[in-house]
Amino acid sequence: MRRILALAFLLACTAVGQAHDAMAGMAMGHEAPLGFDAALDDAGHLWVVDTVGEHVRVRRSDDMGRTFALSTIVNPTGEPVYAEGENRPKVALGPAGELYVTWSQPRKLPWTGFVRFSRSLDGGAHFDPPKTVHTDTAEITHRFDSLAVDAQGNVIVAWIDKRDLVAATAKKMPYLGAATYYSWSTDRGATFAPERKIVDQSCECCRIALARTPDGRVDAFFRAIYGDNIRDHAFATLPTDGGAPDVKRATFTRWHIEGCPHHGPSLAIDGRGTRHAVWFSAADGKPTIWYGQLAPGADPKHLVAVAGNGASHADVAVSGAHVWIAWHQMTANGLDLMLRESTDGGEHFSEPRAVAHADGSSGWPKLVVWKDRAFVAWNPDGRFRLVPTEAL
Amino acid sequence: MRRLLAAFAALVLAAPAFAVPPTALQPKDVSTLLKPPAQGTRVIALWALDCAYCEANLDALASFRASHPGIELVIVATDPVSQAAALEARLKTAKLDSLPTRAYADATPDRINFLLDPSWGGETPRTLVIRADGTRDAASGLLDAARIDRLIR
Repeated sequence: MRRILALAFLLACTAVGQAHDAMAGMAMGHEAPLGFDAALDDAGHLWVVDTVGEHVRVRRSDDMGRTFALSTIVNPTGEPVYAEGENRPKVALGPAGELYVTWSQPRKLPWTGFVRFSRSLDGGAHFDPPKTVHTDTAEITHRFDSLAVDAQGNVIVAWIDKRDLVAATAKKMPYLGAATYYSWSTDRGATFAPERKIVDQSCECCRIALARTPDGRVDAFFRAIYGDNIRDHAFATLPTDGGAPDVKRATFTRWHIEGCPHHGPSLAIDGRGTRHAVWFSAADGKPTIWYGQLAPGADPKHLVAVAGNGASHADVAVSGAHVWIAWHQMTANGLDLMLRESTDGGEHFSEPRAVAHADGSSGWPKLVVWKDRAFVAWNPDGRFRLVPTEAL
Repeated sequence: MRRLLAAFAALVLAAPAFAVPPTALQPKDVSTLLKPPAQGTRVIALWALDCAYCEANLDALASFRASHPGIELVIVATDPVSQAAALEARLKTAKLDSLPTRAYADATPDRINFLLDPSWGGETPRTLVIRADGTRDAASGLLDAARIDRLIR
């Protein structure tokens, strides 16, 4: 018996060793990862975060992305960084000019990661040494970080977390997907509250959308699992006073997939509290980017099929009654950056319009709004630009 | 030179029929891959390193193929072929390294996705079925034997 156990142990070690080798290349992804995030401050400075090898880089542009006046490495000591697709570094701005950055750090085993955080309190000249946001240090998934700041200046970080899957598996209990967790800081990122679960059995590979409400809080919208691998979306409040998140199903496309969509939603909330959302579904074999106004617990209102085949990774932004939707449209001739907009609060949308084209690849488009004007942050082939949305 | 070539040929012929690293799949290769087979059914199993369901799907497809003659199974990773070592290691661990495998070779993986199947949003696993009569079908997500049977029929 002891010999069998020893053999089993040896086999397990070999498997882990191979998995480790498999991860060594994976952490790097493509040779030049394109994942980025961007934000505009009130003065019109553009802040962009991306990666250079094992370093997270924050840059400031004073001319809407044409040139960069400041470039600072957040982590002088390099570490693996997820920087592609749904898993990319994030930047958010505090009310007193604070710069907050998060990213997911791949660990040795497949699908594992830690959510990392750093801040600058001197306008991006220096960043604090990065730290891990969560208290859980198991070598499991804590990935797909999302970052937002509420009106009080609290920093909110949400992510996908597999600790409950691991616990259920150990007890031989069924568990679909992963859990979604969050934490918050009330002291400008000096410390974070112990993480709290938003919901069990949500999707394990889609970004989490966070948006500020008119009363200054931050709400979340993310892909969750209902019944037998129906991957629709949940809407959740994220209290920072110790209260429980209020989580309700918010989309009802009934897409069944026991797999990884790698396709998270986006959310923007207007001054009247209308929740403008976009999400991807391939129910009935028809890939579709949907727009809707969320009514958690019930079907979304004003549903619009924004785009179909070849369309992906939509973002939504709102300013007053103006709503913008930007997305990637793949064609046989390359990648089009597409736009639809509404000037009546999402009642009607313009026809799709290409605002830019690339022969190669780009990180996912990110809409930023400044003085009621929207721009799409984009980096085809790694060359960052801010694309205006106004028709010429 | 001829002797060198002969030696090379001997080496190639002597190479074992397993643990072949994935070969590159470029956009120009897609039409050949999608061409209906002369007979039987080609099944293209798309997978990715960052997909927790993919190895189980590959395993289910490989088992189905083992008991159904006439199925040509091609495993295609959407990860770049530059990660061949990682892909090969993962397939070896899953005991799936004896089948022909390919990996994307393009700076724009979304373009190969689109060329392979415009009605595919990039979710994984994805299984494409191409029959000798030119008809096609596709499914996303982890398949069991019953779903594979319905899909391939």
